[in-house]
Amino acid sequence: MLEFLIPNNMICHATEAMLFASIGCAVLAVLITQMKISSIGFTTAHGAFAGATIGMFLGVDTTIAAIISSFFLACILGPLSEKSRMSIDTTLGVLFGSMMAIAIFFYAWMQQLGIGSGAASLLFGSVISLYREEIYGLLAIMVIVILFVAVFYKEISTMIFNRKIAEIAGIQTKPMIYAMLFMIALMVALTLPIVGGLLLYVWLVTPATIACQFCGTLKQMMIVSPVIAAIISLCGTFISFTYNLPIAPFSAMLFTVVFAASVLIPSKRQITNTNERVEMKV
Amino acid sequence: MNDPIIQLDDVTTIHEGSTHPTIQNISLKINRGEFVIVGGPNGAGKTTLLETIAGRLPIISGTVLVCGFDVVHHGPQIRKKLGYVIQNFDFDPYTPFTVEEVLLMGRYGLLGFCKRPGSDDFTAVEQSLTQMGIISLRKSHIGRLSGGQQQKVLIAHNLAKKPDVLLLDEPFSNLDLTTREHVCDVLCRIADAGVTIVMVSHAFDALPARGVRAVVMKSGKIVLNKVIPPEQVQDTVRHISNDTNA
Repeated sequence: MLEFLIPNNMICHATEAMLFASIGCAVLAVLITQMKISSIGFTTAHGAFAGATIGMFLGVDTTIAAIISSFFLACILGPLSEKSRMSIDTTLGVLFGSMMAIAIFFYAWMQQLGIGSGAASLLFGSVISLYREEIYGLLAIMVIVILFVAVFYKEISTMIFNRKIAEIAGIQTKPMIYAMLFMIALMVALTLPIVGGLLLYVWLVTPATIACQFCGTLKQMMIVSPVIAAIISLCGTFISFTYNLPIAPFSAMLFTVVFAASVLIPSKRQITNTNERVEMKV
Repeated sequence: MNDPIIQLDDVTTIHEGSTHPTIQNISLKINRGEFVIVGGPNGAGKTTLLETIAGRLPIISGTVLVCGFDVVHHGPQIRKKLGYVIQNFDFDPYTPFTVEEVLLMGRYGLLGFCKRPGSDDFTAVEQSLTQMGIISLRKSHIGRLSGGQQQKVLIAHNLAKKPDVLLLDEPFSNLDLTTREHVCDVLCRIADAGVTIVMVSHAFDALPARGVRAVVMKSGKIVLNKVIPPEQVQDTVRHISNDTNA
């Protein structure tokens, strides 16, 4: 798709993958952080990781296995929490531990058996080994996420404000939550081969937290978060190729540096906040 | 006036995960335009009564009709006609919504799929802001307002919906006396315009001058249900609450 800009095929594929994954994840990151469901994103990411390792062990497509595993997790979260009479947070804690245990078990077993030579890429990602179909898949899920937010913006914003108020306003919150969970699951499963199970969470949270420092409204966050994520990911990719660095870990570090800078530099939001407080006291 | 807009017949409801019903065999009729105060000691089932009317709780037995619709089967239709000011809200200081956006959210349930707010919606928001005297706060972020201001915004959010029935759970809890009187005045005016008000409250120092229907609850049951002068509400509720504590 971007061959007219980047003649080198490998760099072009990596750039496309990082661009589509970072934009899709960054839009979902706004939902995840503002709805305070970051532990769901965290658990789903590790669920995808566990699914992919099982898939690799069984010799089936790791992306499909990751999608099935993430969908399964998204489906059982709510019913399991109700059935076990535990808070959703505790349920997520249990599931996260279980998913990590499954992933590490199969990863270690494959190492012992001397199979699954690409297992390390599930941990740390390998953006240069993607197939064209996987890049198209990323583009498709990115478009779906953006369309979902655009079409259901009023429902999403009310749910972010207060779920009970959204229900009273007549918004069907349960289907919306499940739709979001499925999109997170799909995005996570498709991004896993690029950035790996351990770093995925950076893409699902950090862009929104950076945007949060500069934006006062949800609409601004929805625009700024993917723009920031795209710029950081593209910079990370190009610098990594130039200096022969691992792409995903370097990009993740860049996210962290930008986040630290955004916290340290006084933003418009912080200034506005202070002014509003002064006005209220007066 | 004998036009019941809320009708509960022998209703028993239970909270999810609980083994004992919270309210039991309650029957109640509320007519259009009535101003109802629900009082009683803590744990009497006042909030549960509001949640039941709003169709937010499983009904074990009996029927609840609001605006002629059964809450079990017509929840979405009812919620379009119902406003509900919740208790115990807690907004993060960084909640990314302005007061105006919060009021507009009150209109979202009335809009269809994929529809954006139109001029009617913005007019309703403007009217509610003016009604509640918070027009100067329209561009402020809700999380950075005081508890009392947030309370007023939530009431305005529900007024923007132009509901037929307005349920309020402790709406005066964060308000000073002057603001309580102002809010009560607004509620009286909308009740006079035909909106039914059902308000759970422990504060009886700002009540409408006209007669109100007092519904007093005790241990999940209604123990008093009659129209009384506003000056008698406090003594009546206190008397029954003390009886409970004894």
